[in-house]
Amino acid sequence: MDVAAMTTNDWLGVFFALVSAIGMVVVYFMVFRPSNKEKFEAHGTMAMDDEDPIKLGDK
Amino acid sequence: MEATQATPVKYDMEVVKWFTIAAAIYAVVGTLLGVYIASELAWPFLNFDLEWITFGRLRPLHTNAVIFAFGGCALMATGFYMVQRTGATKLWSNGLAWFTFWGWNLIIVLAVVTLPLGLTSGKEYAELEWPIDILIAVVWLSFGLNHIMTVAIRKTSHIYVSNWFTMGMIVMITYLHVVNSMAIPVSLTNSFSIYSGVQDAMIQWWWGHNAVGFYLTGGFLGIMYYFVPKQVGRPVFSYRLSVLHFWALTFGYVWLGAHHLQYTALPDWTGSLGAAVSLAMIIPSWGGAMNGMMTLSGAWDRLRTDYILRFLVVALAFYAMSTFEGPVMSIKTVNALSHYTDWTVGHVHSGALGWMAMVAYGAMYHMIKKLWGVEKMYSESLVNVHFWLATIGTVVYVVAMWVSGIMQGLMWRDYDEYGTLTYTFVESVSAMHPYYAMRAIGGLIFHIGTLIALYNIVMTVSTAKSVRGTNAVPANA
Repeated sequence: MDVAAMTTNDWLGVFFALVSAIGMVVVYFMVFRPSNKEKFEAHGTMAMDDEDPIKLGDK
Repeated sequence: MEATQATPVKYDMEVVKWFTIAAAIYAVVGTLLGVYIASELAWPFLNFDLEWITFGRLRPLHTNAVIFAFGGCALMATGFYMVQRTGATKLWSNGLAWFTFWGWNLIIVLAVVTLPLGLTSGKEYAELEWPIDILIAVVWLSFGLNHIMTVAIRKTSHIYVSNWFTMGMIVMITYLHVVNSMAIPVSLTNSFSIYSGVQDAMIQWWWGHNAVGFYLTGGFLGIMYYFVPKQVGRPVFSYRLSVLHFWALTFGYVWLGAHHLQYTALPDWTGSLGAAVSLAMIIPSWGGAMNGMMTLSGAWDRLRTDYILRFLVVALAFYAMSTFEGPVMSIKTVNALSHYTDWTVGHVHSGALGWMAMVAYGAMYHMIKKLWGVEKMYSESLVNVHFWLATIGTVVYVVAMWVSGIMQGLMWRDYDEYGTLTYTFVESVSAMHPYYAMRAIGGLIFHIGTLIALYNIVMTVSTAKSVRGTNAVPANA
């Protein structure tokens, strides 16, 4: 790899690729950490909680 | 329980109703255009020597009608619906929502006028000329601002995953649309892209595939994660997996566009990178599809009687299939056969008809019952008829394009013992005729389903007691 020939665009690409990769590792770690399981799964019922009838707002 | 309210929330759902009805109408129009142009390819006399109705003029109108008119109205209807319901709040600005509705419809009218006249920028899935592009940006931002501000004023502590998908779509489509549409105007109806050569191609498919990724996939996954649990009556199988699904798609999708440009002037590594990330995306995509399907665990029997649920589950099956087929087609060896053939058209339609339209109709049927306060659609049987027409139509269409695409690819690269091409291009066109007729029939079957859906929706709405004010008939889930 010719590092000296790297352009600004190349370095930007490297930067964003690394940020994305590290970001994904962080997300995987957070999501699959056993101690976070209950915290995440508690939100799973959220779609079921809006069972109230729909009432239109004042016009 | 997140959304416990002491007093009932009053929602701004009138605009949601209008977006829903508009989506049902545009589905009919968009698929009718598709059937007509498919028929033109099978029976070219249908051009009638009228330039305004030739395939080249009507094809962009078809894609704009189904993606942006039907898909856009379905996304905005569900986006405004979900953000209010999961946030236990009304819209940040009801007036701005109406601006979005009329602005979006104005754009569709302008597309109907300009595209048959041949006024086009020539960029795929972004054909509209620069004044309309500016209008799209303004109206889209009005939708985005309203959605994001409604999230900001929510009464619940957590932002449900569906809203993350919608917001991801809003942010990315804004960025993609503005960058891709950068052009130098030479008149009110003509402009030239500021990009040229390989940069132009790269930007085109960076937009093109991410429109698929964030709009047709991400936006509709937001719908799936809200409406599948609602329709099943069970929480999503794994909320953790849904979070991972969102972030994996968001990080991954932006790299894929170059797989549309294998064997072109682009540097070889860009296509390889696109293909590699495409293959990696099978994991979160299938994780999401399984997550949606496993939400039915213990309730699979519901599929016998719940026709709306059938739409949602078959949509997930097509989502899984399309997100496997796409990465396979991006591999260079497969791409050498599939590129520029009808296989690509079949792949796109298994996603558009099988995934996007199916999940949208599942959500629309669900919302209509809630919004108009009815226990059932006007005819539940017609929902079932629509489901089967949509499924059969999609399968007929996709199979026709698979066969014709693979046959095209094989004919184009077949050599005889002297090293010359075995078939002329015209011979390959001629060989496609039965499959083009079959494609038109498949599309027609799907189109008839949209007509039945519109009839059923109109009858449901006209016979329902509309949910108005506090004396409304409760629409229990």
